Amino acid sequence: MTRNMRLLASASVLAATAVAASPAFAAGTAAGTTVTNNVTLDYKVGGIDQNQVSASDTFTVDRKVNLTVIETGNLATNVSPGQTAAVTVFSVTNSSNASLDFALAASQLSGGTAPHGGTDNFNVGNVKMYTDTNTNGTYDPGTDQEITFLDQVGADTSRTVFVVADVPLGRATNDVAAVRLTATAAESTSVGTLGATVTQTVGANTSGIDTVFADTSAGGNVARDGIHFAEDDYVVLAASLTATKTSRVISDPFNGTTNPKMIPGAVVEYCIAVANAAGSATASAINISDDVPDETTYDPAFGIKLDGTVTGSSCNADGTSGGSYASGIVSGTLNDIVAGVTRTLVFRVSVN
Amino acid sequence: MKIWLALLALLAPATAMAADNVSLTSKVFVERVKPGADGKPVTVREEPGVVTPGDRLAFVLTYRNGGAQPATGFTLTNPIPPSVAFAGTDDASASVSVDGGKTWGALASLKVVAADGTSRPAVAADVTHVRWSFGQPIAAGSGGELSFRGVVE
Repeated sequence: MTRNMRLLASASVLAATAVAASPAFAAGTAAGTTVTNNVTLDYKVGGIDQNQVSASDTFTVDRKVNLTVIETGNLATNVSPGQTAAVTVFSVTNSSNASLDFALAASQLSGGTAPHGGTDNFNVGNVKMYTDTNTNGTYDPGTDQEITFLDQVGADTSRTVFVVADVPLGRATNDVAAVRLTATAAESTSVGTLGATVTQTVGANTSGIDTVFADTSAGGNVARDGIHFAEDDYVVLAASLTATKTSRVISDPFNGTTNPKMIPGAVVEYCIAVANAAGSATASAINISDDVPDETTYDPAFGIKLDGTVTGSSCNADGTSGGSYASGIVSGTLNDIVAGVTRTLVFRVSVN
Repeated sequence: MKIWLALLALLAPATAMAADNVSLTSKVFVERVKPGADGKPVTVREEPGVVTPGDRLAFVLTYRNGGAQPATGFTLTNPIPPSVAFAGTDDASASVSVDGGKTWGALASLKVVAADGTSRPAVAADVTHVRWSFGQPIAAGSGGELSFRGVVE
């Protein structure tokens, strides 16, 4: 702090009078700004105006380092087993009154309660971080660049960071892999290079720009350490398919369709029902193949009915014709099956 | 101390510049709330060591008439510094301006006129200047202290 007292003529002091300026940023007055208070005193002695007296006092605004990492959307990210490049989106904000670099690290929780509920029980692979190069808020493979730090983040600005990972095969619905993005304040000394980690000024105030950590403890963070993180969950949403094969005798040569018996010449209908459990992911590209039993003959007149329905556990033997029969094997591809829905493949044979 | 200085001024009038020995100082402090001795929070004023946006400031102005004669028309004018938002004063005698020093009054009596001609009541953050005008002469050897508060923007 400097302090001085001067004796000045009235006119020059009035010319130097300034009005208070609006703050440039919500983050506040830029670090290093010198604030000077000027006060003037006018008076008379014996009824005669005397020279104006002025005094001033100056201080320097120090650097307040405040950063926040938030998970954009604050929702778990649903993934499929085996999904590659599954994306979680984070936003890193510099609320400091100075430009900074941010070192970034993506890490995985090892067990424990996941941020959106459930328990972390597996790890994703190939975890990488990308910047939103084209600033469209969406991860664009090949366009958005892989990064390890954010360069030259201005005061009161935010950057989007995508954490991208691969999900292993074989995970079940509601399996959770939690990832954490940690940003650490660093000096923005030079463009394109991560600066040194910011350290807080310890001990007495210095005449230069001091640094004060002001980051909060929100979201399980440690307050005032120049480091902030947020977490997101990869939650597996797998298809949960069960296949059930049923058969019924349609007719026999003697009883017709009335209480038919399983005797040579009888017609038997097979129904393969594929159910996707409630709460599961939609299953697609469901291929079914079934051997026509020995001692039976495929019924080409009935053909193969696909995407039929069931009532309870009873096959309705409906659906649209499709599929194929070759070399004793019936095969067909069902349409996509959403959660809670059952589709069927139906064919008939005659008993030899 | 003050009496001693006053006596000194009286004893050595010839060496003082008769017209210009009214003194004025400006000092800025940071107001911080800290736990007191009894555990209750107390506001303390510290030298402006580490100052960051949002900190509360106290500007303390000290004046003294070191001359041999009373000073009349005694007026202190303090523009609010850039990067500081005015946050009030405990001195009821102060008047403020929200238009760069053109008009003065109590804050409640002032209005801010927008570019479209509409006006609204002024608030503390609108204040551009604070001023104290003394109706009574400041006697030789007497002085005082004035203060106002601000917040680092």
